Amino acid sequence: MTNVLSLLVVIPLAGLVPLFFFRRDERAAKQVAITTTFVEFLVSLWMLTQFHVQAGFQLVERLEWLPSLGISYLVGVDGISVFLVPMTTLLTFIAVLYSSGGAIKTRIVEYMTAFLLLEVGMVGVFIALDLFLFYIFFELMLVPMYLIIGIWGGPRRIYATLKFVIFTLAGSLLMLVGIVAVYIQSADATGSRTLSLPDLIELRGRFPADFQFWVFLAFGLAFAIKLPMIPFHTWLPDAHVEAPTAGSIVLAGVLLKAGGYGFLRFGLPLFPLGVQAWLPVLIVLSVVAILYGATVSAVQKDLKKLVAYSSVAHMGFVTLGIFVLNLQGGVGAVLQMLNHGFVTGALFLFVGIQYEKTHRRMIADLGGLANMWPLFTTFFGVFVLASLGLPGLNGFVGEFLVLLGTFGFSGAPPLGGLFWGPLAAIGVILAAVYLLWMFQRVMYGPVREAFRSLPDLSRLEIACALPLLLLTVILGVVPQPFIAYIEPSLDRVIRLATDPSFTVVAFR
Amino acid sequence: MTAADLVAVYPEIIVTAVAMIALVVDALLDRRRAALALPIITIAGLVVALASVFNFVPAGAYFRGFVTIDAFTSFFRAVFIVLAIFAAAVSPAYLARRGVPAGEYYAIICFSTVGAMTIALSSDLITLFVGLETMTIPIYVLAGIQRTDRFANEAAIKYFLLGAFSSALLLYGLAWLYGVTKATDFATIANVLAAQGIANGPTIVALALITVGLGFKAAIVPFHQWTPDAYDGAPTPATAFMSVGPKAAAFAAILRVLVGALGPLGVDWSAVLAILAAVTMTGGNIVALAQTNTKRMLAYSSIAHTGYILAAVAAAKAGPSAGAAVLFYVFAYGVMNLGAFACLLYFDLEGTRGASLDELNGFGRRQPLGALAFAIFLVSLTGIPPTIGFVAKFVVIQPVLDAGLAWLAVVIALNAVLAAFYYLRVVVHMYMYEAEEKVPRIVSGRSLSVSLGIASFAVVLLGIVPNSIYQWALEAAQPLVR
Repeated sequence: MTNVLSLLVVIPLAGLVPLFFFRRDERAAKQVAITTTFVEFLVSLWMLTQFHVQAGFQLVERLEWLPSLGISYLVGVDGISVFLVPMTTLLTFIAVLYSSGGAIKTRIVEYMTAFLLLEVGMVGVFIALDLFLFYIFFELMLVPMYLIIGIWGGPRRIYATLKFVIFTLAGSLLMLVGIVAVYIQSADATGSRTLSLPDLIELRGRFPADFQFWVFLAFGLAFAIKLPMIPFHTWLPDAHVEAPTAGSIVLAGVLLKAGGYGFLRFGLPLFPLGVQAWLPVLIVLSVVAILYGATVSAVQKDLKKLVAYSSVAHMGFVTLGIFVLNLQGGVGAVLQMLNHGFVTGALFLFVGIQYEKTHRRMIADLGGLANMWPLFTTFFGVFVLASLGLPGLNGFVGEFLVLLGTFGFSGAPPLGGLFWGPLAAIGVILAAVYLLWMFQRVMYGPVREAFRSLPDLSRLEIACALPLLLLTVILGVVPQPFIAYIEPSLDRVIRLATDPSFTVVAFR
Repeated sequence: MTAADLVAVYPEIIVTAVAMIALVVDALLDRRRAALALPIITIAGLVVALASVFNFVPAGAYFRGFVTIDAFTSFFRAVFIVLAIFAAAVSPAYLARRGVPAGEYYAIICFSTVGAMTIALSSDLITLFVGLETMTIPIYVLAGIQRTDRFANEAAIKYFLLGAFSSALLLYGLAWLYGVTKATDFATIANVLAAQGIANGPTIVALALITVGLGFKAAIVPFHQWTPDAYDGAPTPATAFMSVGPKAAAFAAILRVLVGALGPLGVDWSAVLAILAAVTMTGGNIVALAQTNTKRMLAYSSIAHTGYILAAVAAAKAGPSAGAAVLFYVFAYGVMNLGAFACLLYFDLEGTRGASLDELNGFGRRQPLGALAFAIFLVSLTGIPPTIGFVAKFVVIQPVLDAGLAWLAVVIALNAVLAAFYYLRVVVHMYMYEAEEKVPRIVSGRSLSVSLGIASFAVVLLGIVPNSIYQWALEAAQPLVR
């Protein structure tokens, strides 16, 4: 069956129908949301089994949508997006499962509605191959997350959620101008225009250098804010600190990836000259993000803020890997996106679980938790080690490949890979410093009386964490099968980005 | 005048008849029955009129060239009637609560709609001006229909004085135009101007006066000063109607005159319009940011939307896609803005006041479906998909870039961010604050809820499948291209 991608868009929408009928019954609403997201996850795994290792787009569906504008409903996946979709559905399922355990106490039905709508947007972003469709899904993620932070968030939630929305919208509306510019530039002699990515890749010879310079800026701003790259990251700590735990999991795990994915999917293939023009800036900002994010994390007093800033550093590795424009770096970046999704999602989960029990988030107020919570300590410890890049766990693979790619970087800036590689490597060391120091202060030390009677992980919490733990180990020990999926598609993107005359016949 | 002429203006005749019937019914029935019967009669009559729009009338000139029927006419007729139906449907509960004379109210809306429709079918300066006045004069009355309310009176008198002033300016400009071209019908004017080639002094005076006159009607900055007070002071259902009907009609006039008749003019007025558009959207948005009263905030935001529409007018040289963008945006704006104002009817407030932001606190819990509709309209006004407001932004940016006005497209995008801040602040108050003691009582009429439900559903649906409307707008814009 070839409609599996559309099925992924439809299932969460279909889940809204029973949710509407059970709007007075919170228990039923929770069950509906859990079932829907679980089915969605299963279907995304099924989608994975239908995928064959090769470069082009697969499982493509095309439907006339706005014929008067030449816009169609076009979806498909390739090696870059094929893992991001199951990652999204898994994290959404875990977020919904965890939320239903009592973390969310008010307006359950509205909350679950927001999550299902959010899932439509998130899955859609990774499968859309028409820029118009992509933009719609990109923005569709915005309103539910705005509500999730603003209604179910912490004390400063309104400031945080407005900041999140305004930052994101500023970027994406400029991207809309960029999209329309691409649309107009794609016109041929007969005046027919298109926004379909495969067609645009073939037509990109029509984009002159100065056009690419500006339009890449418009797209890049949107992705850089979403990612976020320095100096557009200031919304992230606020949003994460105020968001409910499940919101943080999805925000860090999936929404940030939309930025990195956008660069790989649209930025690199469509605007090779634009990429070249902006390359020095992008490399510098990536390395700055790695070092700055790590340094700032080290001095955080708030546990959740520490994890939030560590995201900035980790996403710095993603952009660095993308913009060194070689295969190792690119594969590393995609793996780093997956790893960050699982590991940072898990870290936010555990910070949330910890907060639910102790009602404290300041590192100074915590300590000695390891004595009462053996299970919690084991899980949390593994994720912390994965996050700092311990070999054998997944974080290492991505960062190692990115560093490898960086050392091999011979791009436009005056300073080559031998300058940027060691600098980025310092970031890995810093990550070990701030994460281990945090772990030591939070978990070890004398037991505090107030925490003595608090229970260890519940069964629900273990159920939420276990899949992430398994993936962390599997991706760390046997990354090769995953790399084999990613590599051909990524190779194509890198070639499109580095050779402006390289064209491929997309998927026919 | 022949029978064919009369057939051609069937929709206008029906709407006029509806207005008359409303007045007669109001006189015959007692107050309680009239309040029940009038909205039903009005809406049913308007639905018949809407159906008659789609009834085939051969395109062409009627009434010896004073009237033209084409796709453009049909599109605007349909838009005006849909807006009138919407306005009539949201009003009954408010009218009954405030003791506003219902017969006059519905008749005024119908009369004003006839005027707007007349603008759409005009092919002559005289028809255009008659239509414009027929549309505006009832609105002056509508603004002051709550006679005992001081603010309503202030709104009406301000609107009337500035409206009369702008009509005079416009008429003066039309006179200059007649002096230059010795014709009043658009086709001849266009031909004479095309033959004349380079614009000379008197033509530019005419053009400037007409732009200013129509600018007043459409509330283009710096000719917008009357808007906030008039919108704020008028009874809320009247505001809902006058913020969309007359504005749509003003743009019908702008398209007919500036793009149709004066299109061939050598002088590049698109630069002027582009600057006016940028100033209008930015000015409207910045002042709207500072408002704490939702009704006034929406009034200023409607100025900002004028700017977006004007941007598409400025891009006229991009061809039919520019005209189509104006038509599409006017329709989208009409539905979502009327809906947003109408959502304020849920609040039982004194006088004509709109709800302050604090009074919206907890609305999401007190009236879930009403708040949902309001949120959808606001998201659409912001331009976030999947709503019709987003598609409207998309189709406006397209001709603007096509005409080489990249800076204006960027200004539109940045303005949309500004607008997002104050639109979403309303959502914050509805959903993220709890109701305090001093929030106003919620009143809901069934017709209000039903019509808002239909409209908000349409806003989302047409945001997902906008093709048929855009296709129609594209066809309707064809007659403007020569």
